[in-house]
Amino acid sequence: MTRLVQIYTEREHQILGGGFILLLIIAWESVPHLVTLPRALSLFFTTPSKVSETFYELVVQNEFQTHFYVSAVEFLLGLGLAILAGLPLGLVMGRSSVVDAMFDPYVTALNATPRIVFLPLLILWLGLGIWSKVMVVFIGALFPLLINTYEGVKNVDRVLVNVVRSFGANEWQVMKMVVLPNSLPYVVAGLRLAIGRAILGVVVGEFYGATKGLGSLMAKAASAYQVDVVFVGAAIFMGISLIFTLTVKRIEANLSRWRPDVVKTF
Amino acid sequence: MASYIQAQNLALTFRPKNRDPVTALQGLDLEVGKGEFLSLVGPSGCGKSTFLNVLLGLLKPDGGDIRLDGKKITGPGQERAMVFQEFGLLPWRTVLANVELGLELKGVPASMRHQRSSELIKLVGLNGFEHHYPHELSGGMKQRVGLARALATDPDVLLMDEPFAALDAQTRDLMQLELLQIWDRAKKTVLFVTHSIEEAAYLSDRVIVLTARPGRTKSVIKINLPRPRDYEMRLTADFNDIKATIWNTLKEELIARTGYGA
Amino acid sequence: MALKEIYTEYQRPILGLASVAGLLLAWELVLTYLIPVNPFFFTKPSLIATAFREQVLGGRLSHDLIISSRAFLWGFSCAIAVGIPVGVLMGWRRRAEYTLDPFLTALYASPLIALAPLIIVVFGVGLVAKSVLVFLLAVFPFIFNAFAGVRSTDRLLINVVRSFGGKERDLYFKVILPSTLPYLIAGSRIALGRGLVGVIVGEFFAASEGIGFAIARFGDTYQLPEMFAGISVLMIIAVVVTEGMRKLEAVLAPWRVGQEAR
Repeated sequence: MTRLVQIYTEREHQILGGGFILLLIIAWESVPHLVTLPRALSLFFTTPSKVSETFYELVVQNEFQTHFYVSAVEFLLGLGLAILAGLPLGLVMGRSSVVDAMFDPYVTALNATPRIVFLPLLILWLGLGIWSKVMVVFIGALFPLLINTYEGVKNVDRVLVNVVRSFGANEWQVMKMVVLPNSLPYVVAGLRLAIGRAILGVVVGEFYGATKGLGSLMAKAASAYQVDVVFVGAAIFMGISLIFTLTVKRIEANLSRWRPDVVKTF
Repeated sequence: MASYIQAQNLALTFRPKNRDPVTALQGLDLEVGKGEFLSLVGPSGCGKSTFLNVLLGLLKPDGGDIRLDGKKITGPGQERAMVFQEFGLLPWRTVLANVELGLELKGVPASMRHQRSSELIKLVGLNGFEHHYPHELSGGMKQRVGLARALATDPDVLLMDEPFAALDAQTRDLMQLELLQIWDRAKKTVLFVTHSIEEAAYLSDRVIVLTARPGRTKSVIKINLPRPRDYEMRLTADFNDIKATIWNTLKEELIARTGYGA
Repeated sequence: MALKEIYTEYQRPILGLASVAGLLLAWELVLTYLIPVNPFFFTKPSLIATAFREQVLGGRLSHDLIISSRAFLWGFSCAIAVGIPVGVLMGWRRRAEYTLDPFLTALYASPLIALAPLIIVVFGVGLVAKSVLVFLLAVFPFIFNAFAGVRSTDRLLINVVRSFGGKERDLYFKVILPSTLPYLIAGSRIALGRGLVGVIVGEFFAASEGIGFAIARFGDTYQLPEMFAGISVLMIIAVVVTEGMRKLEAVLAPWRVGQEAR
């Protein structure tokens, strides 16, 4: 008995947390078995087991894969472009106050505005193909990367720059030895946020105007009251988002070994 | 005999954005002999740290002349190294990597760097901590890393900007003793900035008192205590006399700066 | 020269303004004199300005803004009413944190907007669906920031108040609440952005009114100047509110929460 108590106290966090989630899933599954749903609600209701069945069917019919592939391409292209644009721009803005001042209004305005409001415009310009989605992903992911890189570069400790300079470092060496290592944790955190935004961009972009992609599959299914399919899509998006976020957090933790406990940021 | 380090009529004014300009140094004359241990004391803001930074080559004076061994100082150089008050350790590097910093920039190959750094880490009493990160160290330990780093490139001149100010009293006493031992062995020229008269008198060959801002040399006091100096010397009457001399000079400047009554 | 001084003092806003003015000017001139503008594809600032005046100051857009705000405020208030107590509970009681944290973190990290079609199907088109979306998106920043705020309360301060005879409610009002406030303000800022997304998405699909709907419809009917005007309005509101919250945060808390610190 004491052995059980011991295990429990050690892993209380995981047990309570995991247990709660498990409880929810079980409760969800059992609802239709426990109560008879009113007719209206039963149209929308589904259970985890049914969702899994539908997922299996979709995979077997290869329908899932085709749509998933499109969404994945949109995600990767948009994110890739955001990294290529955001990191250098953030670096330059951080080092040059003139560039910073000139770009600041645009960055502030675009960052504060929900990027999806540009969606109708992008569809007008780029049509319903993947490029309008890629652009939404790009705009969404760009700003966390840009802003975080900027912050990392800007927040370099002046003392450290002086220290390295006093040992005879030139501008390039200052970059390499001080600015870049200092910025790295910021950039990775920016990447984490960017990934979340990118997935959001794929989802919303495909909901609104697309013929292919997981989001468009969900939207079509929703109007046909195929709730199972919608849940499959939602679960996949959420699952992938979680996996990415946790992986990047792990990388962040590894890179931040030299930092004293940083305040948890959201 | 021309001094090893010579400052003549040095002037420097800071012009920060959106604020009034600050004249840190004005007409400063100073000389340091080779192998000498010199302390600078003066009221806050008198330009002590500014002067060190000029010597280091990170700041350019607006006027006057500053020379090392007859040559004008135009920028940082290997023969001078500073121990910073705020430690200035790169937080993402281990102790070993931090100590190696100067050697790395000099282009010394890795194996030689490691060897030299390890020796110095042992010298400052930190062996076993080579692979720790700065945030895992106490203030005293961090400062020792800073000292090891400054010694790594074997500079001729060691500039120390209130290096022990952030340490507790016991660690401070310990570090002072260690510093004297290292200096005695290595025969470097040391310029030491401090607020503590006791520290200045204990460590130095000469103590220079600077005026309130803008800084100028007010008086030069020679410390005639024999070396090696042990802790007990601080308890003698001679030592107290020396402290009194320094204090009386400094007092005037402190009153001038703060308006405090004697 | 006075001009030079003005430039150094206000460099940042001057450059920013110049940059935007330059862009708008170039945009207008290029499309007026160099490239003929295809009205189905693009438009110019002058036309946007006209549309802006017509629509915003006494047209559809002002009506739409009110509709959107209603949905937003409903969802947002519910998010505050639910989010803060849950967050405080999690911060106050470890068990609550252990139980809820994995579940809520998973939800927060997921694109909840993926459930939008479902919500619209269940709740139909209109205020309720939009408010639910806003709520789902805005509640999490409140939960987690309230949690972090409570957790970050200095135990020492609690002991201080207790030692002066403070009761439970004193602790809440004199220590925990003021200490948590900055976190809550930062949370509001984040929740605001996310809530806006909820309103817009909701309106893209499931509405016959509201600013998101208006923008979408202008797009469908190729009324580009009007569409740009709508987007501009939203941008202006978003920037004003977000920057306003940042100023508030700066006043209430010198440190920064979160890494999007601009």
